[in-house]
Amino acid sequence: MRSLNPACKFIALIIVTIVLAGRRDPVWNTAAFVLSMVLILASGVRPKTVLLLLLPVALAALGMFFTGYRFTAESAMPVRSDAFLSGDSHLLNGVTQASRVLAYAGLGYLFALTTDRIHMVRSFHRQFHLPQVFAYGLLAAWGVFPHMAMEYRKTKAAFRARGIHVFPLSPSLLAPLLVKSVRWSDELSVAMESKGFSAAAKRSDYAPVKVHLRDWLFLIACCVILPLASILTGN
Amino acid sequence: MGIIFDGLEFSYSGELGPVLSGLDGEFRKDEITVLTGTSGCGKSTLLYLAAGLYPGSTGAVMKGRVTVDGNEPGHLPPQKRCILAGMMFQNPDLQFCMDTVRNELIFCLENIQTEPGEIDKKIREALDFCGIAELENRTLITLSGGEKQKVALACLAAINPGWLLLDEPFANIDEESARSIAERLGKMHSERGTGILAVDHRLDSWLGIADTIRVMEDGKLLPESLDARSLDPEKLESLGIIVPGGSYSPDIPPAKPGDTVLELSGIEIMQGGRTLLRDVNASFRRGVIYAVLGQSGTGKSTLFSALSGVLPYGGEAKLEGRDIKHLRRSDIGKMGFITQNPQDQFVGGTVRQEILTSLRKAPDAAERSEEILRRIKLWRYRDISPYMLSQGQQRRLGTAALIAYDCHCLVCDEPTYAQDRRNTIAIMDALCRQAREKNIALIFSTHDRQLAKDYADEILEIKEGTLHAVTEPGL
Repeated sequence: MRSLNPACKFIALIIVTIVLAGRRDPVWNTAAFVLSMVLILASGVRPKTVLLLLLPVALAALGMFFTGYRFTAESAMPVRSDAFLSGDSHLLNGVTQASRVLAYAGLGYLFALTTDRIHMVRSFHRQFHLPQVFAYGLLAAWGVFPHMAMEYRKTKAAFRARGIHVFPLSPSLLAPLLVKSVRWSDELSVAMESKGFSAAAKRSDYAPVKVHLRDWLFLIACCVILPLASILTGN
Repeated sequence: MGIIFDGLEFSYSGELGPVLSGLDGEFRKDEITVLTGTSGCGKSTLLYLAAGLYPGSTGAVMKGRVTVDGNEPGHLPPQKRCILAGMMFQNPDLQFCMDTVRNELIFCLENIQTEPGEIDKKIREALDFCGIAELENRTLITLSGGEKQKVALACLAAINPGWLLLDEPFANIDEESARSIAERLGKMHSERGTGILAVDHRLDSWLGIADTIRVMEDGKLLPESLDARSLDPEKLESLGIIVPGGSYSPDIPPAKPGDTVLELSGIEIMQGGRTLLRDVNASFRRGVIYAVLGQSGTGKSTLFSALSGVLPYGGEAKLEGRDIKHLRRSDIGKMGFITQNPQDQFVGGTVRQEILTSLRKAPDAAERSEEILRRIKLWRYRDISPYMLSQGQQRRLGTAALIAYDCHCLVCDEPTYAQDRRNTIAIMDALCRQAREKNIALIFSTHDRQLAKDYADEILEIKEGTLHAVTEPGL
């Protein structure tokens, strides 16, 4: 999965998501989730990381299960319940909703955990013609994200150092963070410009991100074969 | 061939008046010039103008012009401008846009349209030139300040501009890293003919490679051009320049050690999966001034960040007998912090509010804030955001704000960073007097061993991952 072209992978997984959205089939959803997990683990992602990431997803799936389980034909609803139901029984309805969450999360993680961000931005720039100022601006901003949690703690510590107790996410705490992020973006853009980057100028391409045969095969499997199979099985 | 300022007048905003007014002067390409002067006099602004980054990104040129080797950098596109003059910034955290050292170098070389087949060779050459080949695949966020500055220099070495403009390149790094970078800059100048203009308050690291020292004052370049090889200490002192190896002649009352206010036992701090500091034991008494020395990346700032609650740590830190992880609300603020980057401690919307926050319990807060701001020469900036001040001015404000605040233990991370000699003395005298008068335990970190020797009652050094007491002859 890591060697696939990110732009192709992105389109393919979006199509898979749309196909799944059009079906009410827990088997397909579960298959998509299991396959995503297998591919993630086969790509060298640590099982512990995957388990930690799945924790909130499992909670959401559980919530959706009970929501689906609760809203069945017997529920007192102001409109006909058929319009809301994914299945004919409490259990099937719950499982369908829960597996949908797992399938979407699995596909999302499959993309996020098996794609290098630099490679992705380069690919979007080349294949989707994403403007380079946006592509490289995104990368620069990405570099700042890891600092944000630390900056939050620093700002909190600054208030404590003056004997001021601040509540989490209070405006007085967030205002300096906002100012800082504006300052950072200014300084970063000046630094990028000082290294010769500009929105309009042509740049050379050290490692052009190309579309290979394997990318086409993956695209065909996800964008042609899968939708056809979905239509033919007619759920 | 050179950088020529011809009657240049530049202002950030109409309200504040010009930062540079009628600036005339020339910097020769066959010399390494160090530009020094008081904080906020316009040195960094001058560099940004020479690099062509101003007025494009901020401010306006009202009169005059600047040329670099006959070209007006502000009129060139970034691709051509960066080959004419490359810039190294003061803040090592905000000059990269990629994730790893290698990707950053690729980014730079792609910008100047280097042939893809040549990029690997140029990356190797640049890394070897800076002696950081082992950092090639490291993530930038895991590098120390010194390492980041070396990477910034490697980017410039790869682009190979005609001029290098350096804005306090050694402000955040230890002496050894500074010497190593200075040596490589000298090599760039002699081997490639790169012109070098550096802004710095400290001349130590430049001795041996710099040719000329120029001084700025109130937005103007003084006519004197000092020969860096035969510096006259008296002349330097009269111009407010930090004299290499010269004493600061502190003016503070003697110590009256009190009881222990802060006690550290078995402190251990992990960073990036490795133990950065272990078994740190120390006690700090009221009325005593402590200096903490240490190479860049050894953990001075990390230790202070842990004490301020920003980073997790193992072991025990007690403030007046109470674990600082479980301080009562009334005890919050008994330990004040002056951070290495003053922007990390600003809590007010304006310069004046920053001081007023510290004085919020004082009945005469308005008068005292005015007095403080006039003393640190920031009264005219009282209604603007602290972030709009120069780095040197921000440092003065940050220090003054914490001096105005009543705490029992004051921890200062590099309080004199990016300050000229006069301001260094003013800041340290004020901090130390405050410590003596209010019986505060003052702990400050510094790279300047002379400053530690002159001001501290006790000197500690972080070496081999732990904190040691230093005896004076070994300094």
